[in-house]
Amino acid sequence: MTANGCFQILFYLLVIFLATKPVGLFMARVFNREKTLLDPVLRPVEKLIYRLTGIDEQREMRWTEYTVAMLLFSGVSMTLLYLIERTQKWLPFNPQSLPNVEPGLAWGTAASFTTNTNWQAYVPESTMSYFTQMAGLAYHNFVSAAVGIVLAIVVIRGIARRETEELGNFWVDTTRCLLWILLPVCLAGSLVLVSQGVIQNFKPYTAVALLEPQTVQVSGADGKTTKQQITQQVIAQGPVASQEVIKELGTNGGGFFNANSAHPFENPTPFANFFELVLIFAIPSGLTYTLGRMTGSQRHGWAVWAAMAFLFLAAVTATYWAEAKGNPLLTATDQRASALQSGGNMEGKETRFGIANSALFATATTDASCGAVNSMHDSYTPLGGMVPLINIMLGEVVFGGVGAGLYGVFVFVVLAVFIAGLMVGRTPEYLGKKIESYDVKMAMLAVLILTFTILGFSALAVVKPFGIAGISNPGPHGLSQILYAYVSSTGNNGSAFAGINANTLWYNTSTGIAQLLGRFFMIIPIMAIAGNLAKKKTVPESAGTFPVTGGLFATLLVSTIVIVGALTFFPALSLGPILEHLLMAAGKVF
Amino acid sequence: MSDAIFTIATAAFFALAILYVRACEKLRGAKR
Repeated sequence: MTANGCFQILFYLLVIFLATKPVGLFMARVFNREKTLLDPVLRPVEKLIYRLTGIDEQREMRWTEYTVAMLLFSGVSMTLLYLIERTQKWLPFNPQSLPNVEPGLAWGTAASFTTNTNWQAYVPESTMSYFTQMAGLAYHNFVSAAVGIVLAIVVIRGIARRETEELGNFWVDTTRCLLWILLPVCLAGSLVLVSQGVIQNFKPYTAVALLEPQTVQVSGADGKTTKQQITQQVIAQGPVASQEVIKELGTNGGGFFNANSAHPFENPTPFANFFELVLIFAIPSGLTYTLGRMTGSQRHGWAVWAAMAFLFLAAVTATYWAEAKGNPLLTATDQRASALQSGGNMEGKETRFGIANSALFATATTDASCGAVNSMHDSYTPLGGMVPLINIMLGEVVFGGVGAGLYGVFVFVVLAVFIAGLMVGRTPEYLGKKIESYDVKMAMLAVLILTFTILGFSALAVVKPFGIAGISNPGPHGLSQILYAYVSSTGNNGSAFAGINANTLWYNTSTGIAQLLGRFFMIIPIMAIAGNLAKKKTVPESAGTFPVTGGLFATLLVSTIVIVGALTFFPALSLGPILEHLLMAAGKVF
Repeated sequence: MSDAIFTIATAAFFALAILYVRACEKLRGAKR
């Protein structure tokens, strides 16, 4: 670990801290339908959309209607994406004449992008046409992010409102989120990325002659290997910048290219890398301020932010430490950081990003449900790779996905105040609302669906040939690959221990089901809590009320998140990365 | 054939999710 690396990480957190209030304030104004600077341009567009679609913008919905509208919207969008993938050969913007995507992969990808996961079991530049990337995948990057944000807003309204069943209008909230928040930031952000060298074009791929022709061994279908001379390289092109910015801002993570943000056309400069990192946390961090603003308890918003920042710093420190330390078995190699090298474990990392910015990106992308990568998590040291895994296992509530982080942490807040209530023998309260058995039952349903899906599918995959066939390393690392696949899918993250071959019928369908369960079956009970809270009266604070604004609450929240995560997943982790670390110390690697 | 199966599977999942919404709502009304 170097002072320079530590400074960059702390500077990043400082920028996120400074962005939290303006971003959060703006979002509160948008969803409270207060005036903003963008109104003169966007309000007529909004009105036109409602007129064309027959939406009554004054009409509000109960939690059930809101949730069903969201489900129908997601279901139809998912089917449309599936159809686009299955017919891309006949659709425009396909200069490489790419064939239709095969059904299993098309369905898995449709589930993946609808759920904001962006798990990619394919090589985008050789699988998806420009039309599919733009009208299918980038479209979902916008709308799945908007869905996450508006659901978080419903949860906030549920806390803030009293004695009502009305929680907003799904269509109005989604439209406002897209028009006021996501589209303007992406328009400006994509220009920033273009200024750094991110490409934006519709050109066919460029073939260039290699300066030094390469001889490679190629395995034929009969298993025989032959030597082949490569004289030409094909450089993929495309409308990358417009997709890159929402990939990060919407915490989607699906790369235009297979190498994701390690590709120089997606992430060309140190500034582009920093900008992308800021985009990942901007909205999730801002939403903590929105929470405080809309509930009238700004200190509560900051307490949640502080708990998240603590967990973020702990995770990034652990990853950075593990990767900077390097591989102890490489005794003959100089792994120390110096002016000439990053040092540490550089396998799977870009030299231009080094250890600190790779560890920072890996932590941020898994704290949030982003899943974009600028280094390959599969190549991390066992402990370094365990941290992204744990980040997702904790429910991605450390800032988290756009909206998903806030409604995810809300579950832990309910559990934390419930535990605090049990300790003092009083009915727990949260910002003036009594937390009763129904709320806790629903919170537990949200927690259990993640556990059930992750551990259930992982257990099945490690004992069945169709599961084991996908792994590229034996022993504990193979288990980690499978575990990561289902943790990432269920958590709607999308990053991978990419050594796994997930483009099989089993993995495409099972990860798709995991993504759908992890997204929608978690959301439904959370929305039920929001609906239930909105109906309640507020009770005045008393001496026995557990304050949700200070250090004690933040500590209890962190403890609840860590204890629930540890109790649930420690056995699986001990058989995967922890065992791999101990075996590495004993001289065996996988 | 595969297209039909995957389309039906998608519809079935979202139908199940809507039933889950109803179940959660009913649970709220249930007496302890």
